[in-house]
Amino acid sequence: MTAVVAAIGRSGARRLSVLGGLARFALGAFRAAGRLTRAGRWVTLRVLINQIRFTALQASGLVTFLAAILSFLVISQTIRQLGRVGATDLIGTVIVVAVIRELGPLLTALIVVSRSGTAIAAEMATNRVMGEVTALEAMGIDPYIYLVLPRMLGAVVSVAALMILFDAVALISGYLAAALSGMHFPRYSNIVLTTLSAKDVWLTLAKGLVFGAAVAIFPSYHGLAVKAGPTEIPQAVTRGVVATIVAIFISSAIFVVIAA
Amino acid sequence: MNPPAVRRPRATWLRQAMSFGSDAAPPLVFRDVDLRERPDHPEQRFQLTVQAGTVVVAIGDEDSGVGDLGAWALGLRRPPAGRVEVFGAPIGALPYYDLLLFRRRIGYHPVGDGLLQNLSLRDNVALPLRFASDHRLAEVDERVNQLMDDFRLRAVATMRPAQVNEEDCRRAALARAVALDPDLVVLEAPFDGLTSRAAQDLLDRVSRRADGARRAVFATVQDLVPSVRKTVQRVIKVADGAAVEEAP
Repeated sequence: MTAVVAAIGRSGARRLSVLGGLARFALGAFRAAGRLTRAGRWVTLRVLINQIRFTALQASGLVTFLAAILSFLVISQTIRQLGRVGATDLIGTVIVVAVIRELGPLLTALIVVSRSGTAIAAEMATNRVMGEVTALEAMGIDPYIYLVLPRMLGAVVSVAALMILFDAVALISGYLAAALSGMHFPRYSNIVLTTLSAKDVWLTLAKGLVFGAAVAIFPSYHGLAVKAGPTEIPQAVTRGVVATIVAIFISSAIFVVIAA
Repeated sequence: MNPPAVRRPRATWLRQAMSFGSDAAPPLVFRDVDLRERPDHPEQRFQLTVQAGTVVVAIGDEDSGVGDLGAWALGLRRPPAGRVEVFGAPIGALPYYDLLLFRRRIGYHPVGDGLLQNLSLRDNVALPLRFASDHRLAEVDERVNQLMDDFRLRAVATMRPAQVNEEDCRRAALARAVALDPDLVVLEAPFDGLTSRAAQDLLDRVSRRADGARRAVFATVQDLVPSVRKTVQRVIKVADGAAVEEAP
């Protein structure tokens, strides 16, 4: 019995230790911004632009496609069911609450995790294994500044931008589905605009910030935690991506509580 | 009349780095360091002082512990016993961010070369100037151009480490080590895979500061090519955990 309790305690302590490490890591990444050198700012800006190109621009096609399909499916199915009970006006609630407020940010973040989170974790782990992180530290360069900060800023900007794109495409696609069921644009726009509030806008932006930071911080943390060698790289990528997905879902639930 | 605007001091970062040590102290001192990670030989601890402007080479087999000296000198690891002082400061005892600042006074060439594989050789050389100094972009470019010429890297400047030969990688890594014009350079196995002529040429370049004065160089090697010995003031053979002086 005591062995079971001890095992549970050890596992809990390990998880708490990882959480503590992650919190320290995230704080270090935020604080790194204040230590950027003059020339470093320009280089970081260049890296940031590159990061946004890889993370946002190259994912925009996939996000557009998925947003269009998801919104079309949800609205065309919902409008049919709601039509039977004469409650088609409720599609505004469906598209705003289900698609724009919840599914949009979640799906966007998951797309970015699958494309860029894996890349960030693999790159960081490789940097660690190849001794490049030690080389940076030996030169007096803070790895947070050089490796983590541009990726974190890039992920935040990219996820927020992709969420806005997702929402815009979902609204257009939702209209197409509604139009196929005989709803005209003035009525559709009236229903959606009545349901949409300022809260939805700040929630989207806040989720962009939090999810974006998670997409960079968790994979970076697990990537840089690699010690033994190249065989640890795939494990670090898996750990980083799984942790990011869990964090995104938990923070999504927290947002629901806050918004309520 | 308005008072003159206070100009921001230029090399702020370097000034902070200088604040940790003393210029009067020897650049590098190993004091009672145990090389063999066995604390049972207190009478055979490693002692070495690298004086300013001298080139000192420590030679030893792979299992002699000579390979640890570079990492200890940079504070990347701590020796199991004894202490390492850089410009009088106990480098192993400094907190992490102070250590990062302090290391800007020291050039370092790790085993292999430590070049970042996703950067060109030019960007690798520019790295410490961009992220560990307070230089403007134009000043960084000027210094990097000078280093690319000095280390004969102009032709391969835009290539990545995997695209060039070992000698060019070594040249780039050494150019990066002296990019901030440090008073002390620590080199780990810097001559591996180099011809004796290239090794001599590179050591000569590394041992001179931008103003032509000599800087302190501490190199750890397993074997020393004869041509390099001309530039070396002291050769230390590491045997049984202790330093034995050899004629250069």
